[in-house]
Amino acid sequence: MNTYVVETRQLTKRYGDHAAVKNLSLSVERGEVFGFLGHNGAGKTTTIHMLTTLLKPTSGTALVCGKSVTDQSLEARRHIGYVPENVRLYDTMTARANLLFFARLSGVENPDRRIDETLDFLECRDLAPRLVGSFSKGLRQRIGLAQAILHRPDVLFLDEPTSGLDPMGIKTLRDLIVRLNREFGTTIFMNTHLISEISRTCTSIGVLNQGELVFRDTIEKVTERYGSESSLEELYLSVTPVQAKGAA
Amino acid sequence: MRNLIQPVLTIAGKDIRDALKDRFIILMTAFLLLASLVALAVAAIALKVDVATYAEAKAGLIALGKDASTIPDPAFYPLKLLRGFVEHVEIIGAIIGILIGYRAAASERGRQTLALIVTRPISQWQFLAGKVLAGTAIISSGLILAFVIAGIAVIAISGIVLNPEDIGRLAIVMSAAGLYALAFFLLGFVTALWAKKLPNALLLAFTVWLSFVLIAPQIGDTLDPDNQVAGGVFKQLQIAKPQQVEILQSFSTYETIRNGIEVASPTKHFERLSFAVLGIKDTYAGQPLMPILAEKASDLVWLLAIALALGLLLFARRLDPNRLSKE
Ligand SMILES: Nc1ncnc2c1ncn2[C@@H]1O[C@H](COP(=O)(O)OP(=O)(O)OP(=O)(O)O)[C@@H](O)[C@H]1O
Ligand SMILES: [Mg+2]
Repeated sequence: MNTYVVETRQLTKRYGDHAAVKNLSLSVERGEVFGFLGHNGAGKTTTIHMLTTLLKPTSGTALVCGKSVTDQSLEARRHIGYVPENVRLYDTMTARANLLFFARLSGVENPDRRIDETLDFLECRDLAPRLVGSFSKGLRQRIGLAQAILHRPDVLFLDEPTSGLDPMGIKTLRDLIVRLNREFGTTIFMNTHLISEISRTCTSIGVLNQGELVFRDTIEKVTERYGSESSLEELYLSVTPVQAKGAA
Repeated sequence: MRNLIQPVLTIAGKDIRDALKDRFIILMTAFLLLASLVALAVAAIALKVDVATYAEAKAGLIALGKDASTIPDPAFYPLKLLRGFVEHVEIIGAIIGILIGYRAAASERGRQTLALIVTRPISQWQFLAGKVLAGTAIISSGLILAFVIAGIAVIAISGIVLNPEDIGRLAIVMSAAGLYALAFFLLGFVTALWAKKLPNALLLAFTVWLSFVLIAPQIGDTLDPDNQVAGGVFKQLQIAKPQQVEILQSFSTYETIRNGIEVASPTKHFERLSFAVLGIKDTYAGQPLMPILAEKASDLVWLLAIALALGLLLFARRLDPNRLSKE
């Protein structure tokens, strides 16, 4: 059995003439916390959409836990958790009702107990009876994360998880991600703009530029070679030389 | 088996609970009930006036020393009182259908929840079936409530207890109303699921509503010469049946167009069926049910076909992820 949780070959997504993702060949090993960097419009969200079976690739293949996201999408989905950017859930339902809904859809046995365990893990059991509509962005993100890990997925996809959070919220989230990775062994695949987050959270990074993978290595090797955090920024800027044409 | 059905029920259950909390849907349903009761009251008053006129005429005849038994007692069909109710179901029922369908899709868009549902290990058909099941359940319970209240109101106003056949007629019209509202539910759902921008979906659905519920039946009615003269053109002109047929033949293209406009409208099919089954249209009043059903079965088939076609459209197309996260 191979150790790759995510494995893509020549993965490509085109919108008309424009290739949002170009011949992406990328592997992420079990247990990694992978940070996916890139400018606005680089193709990060498009990649996550393909890996979470939302979007059909134009060409190439992608496997999640050995299952093809196109031909075995139902099987692949059993292994993934997904937290979209700005996740919101149902405002008029309590946190528990929201989680119960997704637990049932994920086929979780004994959902009530699993919800309690998950909320305890995320240190937010008190949120359960409250309406999600009344939540701040940080709390919504927490329930969004709870929803994604109820079924204890092998790999968790996070799209810009820190977007819109205050520094405290960012720190809390970072700690949760690291704990999730350590305690459950969940592989993390995380899109981000924030270089500062990468060095603190991730074990490896990839840099996408205009749909193409321009850099891929472990954080260890990067710091070994380039030293401090500011050099990581230099590295990032050096591998993404031109501001993407269409980027805002 | 349980694995196939359970996600469908989960999605349906959530939507039903959610719709019950939706003030706008509750308000529209209350409005439908209220408008129906008003229509029934108005019909009852009109009936009382008719009865009074009859009694007066009869008294007049007796006063003149004539035999009053030559004028027959007017036939009274309590279900006829439901005309206004049926018309409200046509118009407001369609709106409620569209709104429930719209919110079934709109409530998932822009909150990323549709994307989350689609990345769960369930099939697209299970998601859609859950939505349609919820819509059907909400519409059915609303209609059952409306028809029970209307039936009780008819009994209260007319003082006549409905016989089992009358109740059967009500049940048939209620089922047709269910199909009718379901067609508009599917219209609202499909457009809100597929439209690039949500407001466009509502605009499109209500354009269809305007064309098929309000305009098409009106055009059909206005173009029908029989509707322009009380009692019908031929009757007023005292033209004999063979001549009527002859005259109508020279207007056959006109009649085809007029009929075509009516046939395109689910509203008209529902109305033709309901007016016949309930005896609201005079030619059917007091007629036995079975021959009426046989004659109007095609209208029921049309309603079924329209709902089925929209359903097929819904299930045949793959969900577009570009719509999943956009408001
Ligand atoms: N539905 C679509 N139709 C056409 N082009 C699209 C569509 N979705 C995305 N794109 C294009 O694909 C490219 C990649 O977009 P994507 O959202 O994957 O970038 P991203 O790296 O996630 O950017 P950001 O950091 O802004 O989230 C962009 O140029 C975008 O305009
Ligand atoms: Mg993005």
